Amino acid sequence: MSQHLSRLQISEYLIGSGDPFGQWHARECPACRAEIKILARPLALFRASVHRWSERQLSAGVETAPVLQFTRESYDRAWYSAGAYSLLVHGAMAALLLVAGSVKPVQRFARDTATLIAPRLKPYLPEKSAVQGGGGGGTRSPLEAERGKPPKIAPRQFTPPRVDPFENPKLPMTPAIVSSLEPPDIPMPNLGDPLSRLSLPSNGTGFGGGIGSGFGGGVGPGKGPGAGPGSEGGVTGGAYRIGGGVSAPSVVFKVEPEYSEEARKAKFQGTVVLQLVVDEKGMPGQIRVVRPLGLGLDQKAVEAVAKWRFQPGRKDGRPVAVIAMIEVNFRLL
Amino acid sequence: MERVISSEAMPALVERVHSLDNFEALVEQYRPRIFRFILASLRNRESAENLTQDCFVRAYQARDQFRGASSAGTWLMQIAANLVRSHEASGRLKFWRRTLRGDVDPSDAGDAIPDGQTSPEQLAAAKQQVERIWKVAGRLSGKQRTVFLLRFVEDMELLEITTVTGMKEGTVKTHLFRALKSVRAALEEQTK
Repeated sequence: MSQHLSRLQISEYLIGSGDPFGQWHARECPACRAEIKILARPLALFRASVHRWSERQLSAGVETAPVLQFTRESYDRAWYSAGAYSLLVHGAMAALLLVAGSVKPVQRFARDTATLIAPRLKPYLPEKSAVQGGGGGGTRSPLEAERGKPPKIAPRQFTPPRVDPFENPKLPMTPAIVSSLEPPDIPMPNLGDPLSRLSLPSNGTGFGGGIGSGFGGGVGPGKGPGAGPGSEGGVTGGAYRIGGGVSAPSVVFKVEPEYSEEARKAKFQGTVVLQLVVDEKGMPGQIRVVRPLGLGLDQKAVEAVAKWRFQPGRKDGRPVAVIAMIEVNFRLL
Repeated sequence: MERVISSEAMPALVERVHSLDNFEALVEQYRPRIFRFILASLRNRESAENLTQDCFVRAYQARDQFRGASSAGTWLMQIAANLVRSHEASGRLKFWRRTLRGDVDPSDAGDAIPDGQTSPEQLAAAKQQVERIWKVAGRLSGKQRTVFLLRFVEDMELLEITTVTGMKEGTVKTHLFRALKSVRAALEEQTK
């Protein structure tokens, strides 16, 4: 009895598994009580602090109770019948509306009283793209293209028009050009350039099939499968080519192209040739690389030229869109 | 050893089984406790909230399997302890432990000092002690910490702890002894 508790016994007491003697001693002996208290008091503090902390965290947390609804309500007969009545009433109302709407006097009344406002659709409709100008052609003949009726219009060109069509082609296709406009109707038996004044059979000075001085399978001085001086499909109107009353645009503002890192390392020099359309306001557009150089210089040239500003080319004193070629030189100093 | 159910124990047993019928009340009653245990184990409020929710969902799904062998609180705590263990095993905690080691605000812990701690230095000492125990509890192994928290925070009896953890009584005791040893060492280090 005089023996005080060992550390192990104190631990046992705290754990709650001490033997009866140990528990009795712990209650009776002041020395042992003090010894126990050294450990028990911090533990009690710890316990209280954890409790307090947990309460605080729990109340600070978002209330998630609605997620966990442990109610045992079942949809018994009363609920089902209520649902059926609801369905019935709503169905009846919908049927009533339908029936009322199909009666003639009601329809007339509605038409007379209700004001219908047509919404403005214009901002949402796709804008008709401007006519893009037309094609060119020719078979590198020394003579200009012959005058004749324009070929028929088709959404896609399979055979370029020719002044002298092939005899007995294996796969006969009607020659056509791509255009959104109706070409002028000229009563002539043979195909040709309707704007030409020549009447000798010739496909024109251009190349790439077709009729005219441009290239591509169209008709006229442009390029592409259309007709007229523009490019791509369509009849006239697009960008003009320089010459024949069309003045060349001149550069107003110029940005020197940067050298690309690769080209500088390789000590690479040369010239990039770009084709672009200078519009009526002198802005460059549709920039294409005609003669590439590589090593990233093409992109640098396009980037630079896109920033250039021009005095637009003129036709009959009016600024027009003009197709122009630009050479961009890359020289290392 | 077969457990014999005496006739007096029967009503209590029936009551236990029926205590699950009113699940909402059960949630109300035990949610703070479950949350506290998980929070103290993981020291992360988000995880603790999630796992508390999980715990009750699992209990609800498995409520038919509850035979009344223990009280509903013990049963729930058992689920919670399993959840904590699997959560730790999943490795997510490793990350949290690293980043949120100091998730427990020491000033929080110190605020909860019981009455009679009027003098400032006593308050400071108590605060420090609590912080020490927190640190020790964080360093304990998973099993030791679970047992330690169940005993000294949740005030559970040894037998209850064996039910919750599924360990034998001797094992529980060993874990508790070791945990107490660490606590004592930490506290003595402080007084030096």
